[in-house]
Amino acid sequence: MATDRNDGSEPPTTDSRLHLDYEIGTLEENIVSGGVPKDGIPAIDDPMFADTPPDGLAPDDPVFGVVRNGEAKAYPQYILVHHEIVNDTIAGDPVAVTYCPLTGTAQGFERGPVEFGVSGRLVNSNLTMYDRGTDSWWPQMLATAITGPLTGESLREFRVIWTTWSGWSSAYPETRILTEDTGFSRRYGVDPYGQYNEKRGYYSSTRTLFEPLHSDSRAHPKAVVIGTRTETGGLAFDKETLLRQRVLTGRIDDTPYVAVADTDLASGYVYANPESMSVAASDDGYMIDGTAYDADSLPLDRTLSFDAMWFAWAGFYPESGYVN
Amino acid sequence: MSTDSPTDGAGAAASVQRLFRNTVVAVSGALSRRDGRVSLSVSGLAYFLLYLAGLRHLGFGPSGYEVSVVSNPLVRAFRQVGPFQWEPIALVVVGPVELLVAPLNMLLGAVLAALVGLNLAVSIVAWRGPAACRLGPGAGAMSGLPGLLSGFACCGPTILLVVGIQASAGLLSLFQWLLPLTVVALLGTLLWVGSRVETAQQVA
Repeated sequence: MATDRNDGSEPPTTDSRLHLDYEIGTLEENIVSGGVPKDGIPAIDDPMFADTPPDGLAPDDPVFGVVRNGEAKAYPQYILVHHEIVNDTIAGDPVAVTYCPLTGTAQGFERGPVEFGVSGRLVNSNLTMYDRGTDSWWPQMLATAITGPLTGESLREFRVIWTTWSGWSSAYPETRILTEDTGFSRRYGVDPYGQYNEKRGYYSSTRTLFEPLHSDSRAHPKAVVIGTRTETGGLAFDKETLLRQRVLTGRIDDTPYVAVADTDLASGYVYANPESMSVAASDDGYMIDGTAYDADSLPLDRTLSFDAMWFAWAGFYPESGYVN
Repeated sequence: MSTDSPTDGAGAAASVQRLFRNTVVAVSGALSRRDGRVSLSVSGLAYFLLYLAGLRHLGFGPSGYEVSVVSNPLVRAFRQVGPFQWEPIALVVVGPVELLVAPLNMLLGAVLAALVGLNLAVSIVAWRGPAACRLGPGAGAMSGLPGLLSGFACCGPTILLVVGIQASAGLLSLFQWLLPLTVVALLGTLLWVGSRVETAQQVA
């Protein structure tokens, strides 16, 4: 296992910082221990993949799917719940695929020459990663360092799709899938928090383990939203409503945004729609100006989005709009 | 509290010495009897299994037969993954039973199980003895309780889901102290039970 080298190398960051609803100092004050030491939850640093799914994976079990430069990979939730971070290389790019069980968020980050590890600390119940180059701490959902030399910098992100194995493998038959050969002994059949295929335990309970930064009772705390945040603000769409209605609209400041459902993957994408173009669901996809487009390729600027539990989104982005 | 006079100091040392001697006598007495040995084995084994189950190192899973060991097991065995929790170095699957082997946790579990077992053995033997020696089963139950709590406390905050309380910094640091507190409580009850047995014998 890689150790905390602190050799000063840095992960690539964005030109401008993602929006935060809190001062960084406030976020730093709200770092709490998750009850485990640094790397107590070990990241997978040498992931192994197979063409066929592990025996422990049912068709309707959740996987986190990534496609980069034509290479498709799936990361089963039941394996990531024990590791939270996979330091991987996809299509030649060093990346980290990350998952926080307590906030229900799967997100991808470019990592450059450094690896990420699990700090053992949480902010707003969210996995706080550390980079093994500078030991800056990065709450996953914020993708922005709140302590250490890179404080205030935001990581470069890419989309991770929360879907099921059957959905992902149908859409990407050539996908490879992470195996249980992680280098660690774990009882992978046991999820310490509950289960997803028929939601139970923490994943469906109205209770949270840690008090959120901000509580908002507009939705069930564990209702899933598809959230997006830009440099200016955040916006969340109720996932169940999106999958049912297929098109939802909202605003960040004065800019209109549109969310469309990907029914094959039971997921969704969010686009900036500054011209307020009409987007209509049809049998062929989504109609804009008389042309049909797939959900993932509307002729608009797509913003990065990810699934999250409502309480976690509302905790981090209390000023965010909520569309349901 | 004043213990600085030589007489007081000597008196206290003698009391402690007597307490330990009484306990050793009580334990050997209990283990010389069959019901004492059975109590030790049954309660010790039950506690050991519950402790491992509490850590989620032991449980049921998909049926199969497998033994897999990580690379560098000797290094891994000492890697701490939580308060009084160490990295498992092997997974053993026998039929539906899955066991993660974390040697230091097994050692710790065995020590706790022995303490719980000895507590119960001594108090059960005393309870089953002549009326004048009866301690009542309360002593055994008392020793067992913190032991069980410590095993489950090792799951970290997930136990809080079951209990339904929210984690806080104070509560999480309390978790870190549960295991050492348990060892102290178990030793304490063992000494107390030991002293009571002799008192009862003196009365008889």
